[in-house]
Amino acid sequence: MLNWLGYTELNLLDSRFSTLLPKGGQMHFEMFFFPMLKVDGIVKELSYDILRKDKTPLSVLLNANTILDQNGNIRAINVVVTDVTERRNYEKELLKAKNLAENEQKRLEFMADLAPEMIWTASSTGRISYVNARFCRYFDCEEKETRTLFVLSKVHKEDLKHLLRSWYKSQSTGMELNETIRLINRDGNYEWHRVKAALFVEKNGDQTNWFGSCTNVEEHVRQLKKKDDFINIASHELKTPITSLKAVLQLMQRMKAETSERMSGLIDKANHSVSRVTEMVDDLLNASQMNEGQLKLNKKIFNVFDMIGACVHHLRLENNYQISTIGDENICVTADEGRIEQVVNNFITNAIKYAPQSQLITINVVAIPGFVRVEVIDKGDGIQPDKIPYLFDRYYQVNSAGSKYSGLGLGLFICAEIIRQHGGQIGAESKINEGSLFWFTLPL
Amino acid sequence: MQQSVLIRNNVNITGDGKEVILFAHGFGCDQNAWQFVVDAFIDDYKVILFDYTGSGQSDINQYISAKYSTLDGYVQDVLEICEALDLRDVIFIGHSVSSMIGVLAANLKPEYFSKLVLVGPSARYLNDGDYIGGFEKDDLENLFEFMDSNYLGWSSTMAPAIMGNADRPALGGFLTESFCSTDPKVARDFARVTFFSDNRADLSKLKIPSLTLQCAEDIIAPNSVGKYVHQHAPGNEIVMLNATGHCPHISEPEETIRAIKAFIN
Repeated sequence: MLNWLGYTELNLLDSRFSTLLPKGGQMHFEMFFFPMLKVDGIVKELSYDILRKDKTPLSVLLNANTILDQNGNIRAINVVVTDVTERRNYEKELLKAKNLAENEQKRLEFMADLAPEMIWTASSTGRISYVNARFCRYFDCEEKETRTLFVLSKVHKEDLKHLLRSWYKSQSTGMELNETIRLINRDGNYEWHRVKAALFVEKNGDQTNWFGSCTNVEEHVRQLKKKDDFINIASHELKTPITSLKAVLQLMQRMKAETSERMSGLIDKANHSVSRVTEMVDDLLNASQMNEGQLKLNKKIFNVFDMIGACVHHLRLENNYQISTIGDENICVTADEGRIEQVVNNFITNAIKYAPQSQLITINVVAIPGFVRVEVIDKGDGIQPDKIPYLFDRYYQVNSAGSKYSGLGLGLFICAEIIRQHGGQIGAESKINEGSLFWFTLPL
Repeated sequence: MQQSVLIRNNVNITGDGKEVILFAHGFGCDQNAWQFVVDAFIDDYKVILFDYTGSGQSDINQYISAKYSTLDGYVQDVLEICEALDLRDVIFIGHSVSSMIGVLAANLKPEYFSKLVLVGPSARYLNDGDYIGGFEKDDLENLFEFMDSNYLGWSSTMAPAIMGNADRPALGGFLTESFCSTDPKVARDFARVTFFSDNRADLSKLKIPSLTLQCAEDIIAPNSVGKYVHQHAPGNEIVMLNATGHCPHISEPEETIRAIKAFIN
């Protein structure tokens, strides 16, 4: 002990032990070591720095116990001092690492709290382990309340099954989760959220966690709904005067024998325009109905080949194209004939519109297992391959910039919706300078 | 409410007397610190012991960092115990930081208290201009380091402290066995509240008689701070004890009992 500290026996005899400690240590000694020794009779493994004669610190552990006389008074105190310099350095490093890790965590949590999204993490089995401040604010809860069941109770019951199915799928495949669901807020109102979650694999690979976010898209959904409402209203508003205009024109047409030929041509043109406007407005109406899932199908059995024949007959009257229908003449399906006619019509008029140089348009009816497949084939310019995936999107037009074609870009979207609601598929294939093939299937 | 406060603060009541003595422990340990002096009072007084929320056997779950981030939270503990037991004219005996908690409580509700005994009081531990509190900021940081390293402890206790939940590290075995065992986070908070508080301005507002027990060679509350309390608290008496260190009720219980009895009788 004397060697460790550099003192001689005379230096130390009769002085208090605590005077060997730095001031903070002396305080600790007074507040902990001494009361513990006196009350408990034993002190185990308290860590101190003792100052050597040259004032450099020596890291030690103190173990002490009291030896009592017959009256229970302390006769002596037995102290074991252990040099733990090495261990202390090790501890300091660990403490530093721990503080570093804690700081890093605090930084991440600060960032997570700053983000406008709700952010959470969960174990690989789905136990929620962390949620950010926005999460707690939205649901008006404490972080420790947020068990998985609590969160599921906040999901709209119509969305719950769907969410759970996706969640299980993501868990079993490790694929990202992407869902749009309604979550109830602190005021009891549901708001739409886009939920994203991805699996994070730690560096050593044996621990995985889910990191997730919920973005509030309520405003976005509300705006979309607003827009749909607007379209709905606008198309109705448009349709009313057009209908009366059409009636007037029909009346005039009946009277056209009484007027000049020039007048008659004007009336034909006016009639044509009105038909065109009517088509567009119908498209708008259809689109907004489909968006709300209000499309009503009047299904009955009909012969596909015959239906196409009637369609083509009607179109031939207006255009000088050669349209040839080939394939199986005996296939019957149960579907809404009017709506399917609309799809065929749309395919053919598209071919006429976008492939004017193609003189021949072929319609092919074939039976495939469980389905009938209808193809409309032209020999026009074809469509850029990168544009094909978007053809059936709403408001999409192949040549949107400086287009010479009119229309709302709703036709194929409506077709896709009609076919989808019948349980069929729709698609297109095309080769530049060779032509395009649009097809759909209907279940038999 | 009443019952919950008594459970929260592990309130223990003994003694046959009518007049009430409320013993309040200082920073670091718990009500067991009074075990050498309590017996001297139970024949003539009703003696009440308690642990501050977060200390000793109190209900740690009710420790709210924000509430106990100033001495006021601890003052609330004292006042709520008085209210729960419907106490009046209490003789409050507080050690170390509890001296100032007692002063603050008595300033808020003077009717609850008849006398204060301040054992090793300090109204401010840090030096401040002409005021000698006895400590520079570095000394205190040094103490906090000692506390941290002792909670980090020896290899056997280090692992749980580091690996465990950062909010509630497992206590090292050596401290859980002791009456000084405290949740490390609570201890750290309590130490900061204690040693960074400045209650000099509160002394002059004291309206009830008080006694300062000043130890010899007390590194935590040296003579100068005891004298400061004596000079600035109206109606304060001071007794200079022969006991050395900061815990006369532990090191020299007889002398401490004599001094207290002389004041309260």
